[in-house]
Amino acid sequence: MTSRGTPSRFLQSVLQNGVGRYVCQLKRISLIFSKKAQSSLGVREFIEEGVVDYAKKNPSTVVYVSPQASRIPKIVAEYLNGSVREEIITNKTSPQVLELLTKLTNQSGLDIIRIRKPFHTDSPSIQGQWHPFTNRPPSIGPIRPQKQDNK
Amino acid sequence: MASGYILNRGALTLGIHCQRVCRNISVTQVREKKRWMRAYTYLMEKKLKLEGPPPPKPRSQLPNWDYHAEVQAFSNRLHENFSLELLKTAFINPCYLQAEQERRRGLGVDSEAAALVLKDNIQLSSTGAALTKSFLTDWCRASFPSLPSEGVEGIVGHLTSLTVVAHVARNLGVEDLTMSAECPVPDDVIHHTFMAVIGALEKSSGVERTGYFLRDFLATQLIGKDLFDIWTVVNPMGLLVEELTKRNIALPEPRLIRAAGASTVLPLYFVGLYSDKKLLAQGPGETLVAAEEEAARVALRKIYGYTENRRPSDFSPPQQHQQPLITSVSSN
Repeated sequence: MTSRGTPSRFLQSVLQNGVGRYVCQLKRISLIFSKKAQSSLGVREFIEEGVVDYAKKNPSTVVYVSPQASRIPKIVAEYLNGSVREEIITNKTSPQVLELLTKLTNQSGLDIIRIRKPFHTDSPSIQGQWHPFTNRPPSIGPIRPQKQDNK
Repeated sequence: MASGYILNRGALTLGIHCQRVCRNISVTQVREKKRWMRAYTYLMEKKLKLEGPPPPKPRSQLPNWDYHAEVQAFSNRLHENFSLELLKTAFINPCYLQAEQERRRGLGVDSEAAALVLKDNIQLSSTGAALTKSFLTDWCRASFPSLPSEGVEGIVGHLTSLTVVAHVARNLGVEDLTMSAECPVPDDVIHHTFMAVIGALEKSSGVERTGYFLRDFLATQLIGKDLFDIWTVVNPMGLLVEELTKRNIALPEPRLIRAAGASTVLPLYFVGLYSDKKLLAQGPGETLVAAEEEAARVALRKIYGYTENRRPSDFSPPQQHQQPLITSVSSN
């Protein structure tokens, strides 16, 4: 599919975040893993080593660690705007899990689709948008080419 | 009927499987094509289509929920020092208390044996609402000094309206923590709760911090909004005349400046307002009346200092919270 056919949005933030103060948009994260399975070896390692540090570093995020009899370990991230993202972390090592967690923490929770431009403004022009009447002397009637001065 | 028949058959085959399982215990699973699966999924789909999706559940009834940790995280997220007792009280709505008491009565629990010892947030909410109104009024007066009191009232009314406050509260995660009788929390309950949160903040960290909180979360909603979308003025020309007489400026005189396509379906007129032979403002419109009204609105925006290209309001953090580390680095 060409890029024009894919869904897209403008660059935006939730609730003008960062204008007044920055609010971390990740509200809750649950690490779902198995106590025995080979595929969640890295997650178990991460839980032993790094999860407490992560939770201390991000006091605004609630971290839940829930062992379940499942072969596919995953991270369920819930954001302030109500969106929920599930990331599957099968066979990921402990640093990889931490990397993924950091990425999820820094995201805003808005849907991840093509962003049209890397910048956005609500008021694109300070002077006002150009229209055929700008910088024209006041006159009534159809628009004609401006008179040349030298004639 | 057909589905019932299939279900019967499914039950029959299931019975056979059970027998097989009972006969030789070592085999616990039958490996074959699951012919019942198709009928079962079909039935479930049909049920979903008839009954619709199940009603939404509050987040507190889903797995992985620790109320104390959530409240603490809420306080940390907003970078405020709430007293947690007050904050927890702020989330308890009177409608929840009523529903809970009725539920307990329905279950036959003694009201004395298991009394519901919870305070509701009515008082906090009323203090919060009063504080919000007074702070936002002061803030508007300071930011737009030439705006009349009706305009300030309009802006404050917009910022404290049900939709705006509910939108802010939903995007700050208040909805999950709110204790309400109904599950998708209605707008008025969430508005009430957010006001109670503001009241709790005022009681735990003082008026000044609450002011910064309101400025950062409610006043920022004004960014990108037009004055006359917020404040409905029926007769802008009359208001402009009033304002000009107050300032001792000659009365506006509307003149048709430009026109295009007057005989087509898309006519365009530009009306300029002159006072003392000086152009106050000009505005476009499809008819002469609409263009004159628009020109009056443009002139009012200029007078009140609420144009689109005005200097942005100051939302910088309070000075006392600059960390000494940063200042020492910048001084080096």
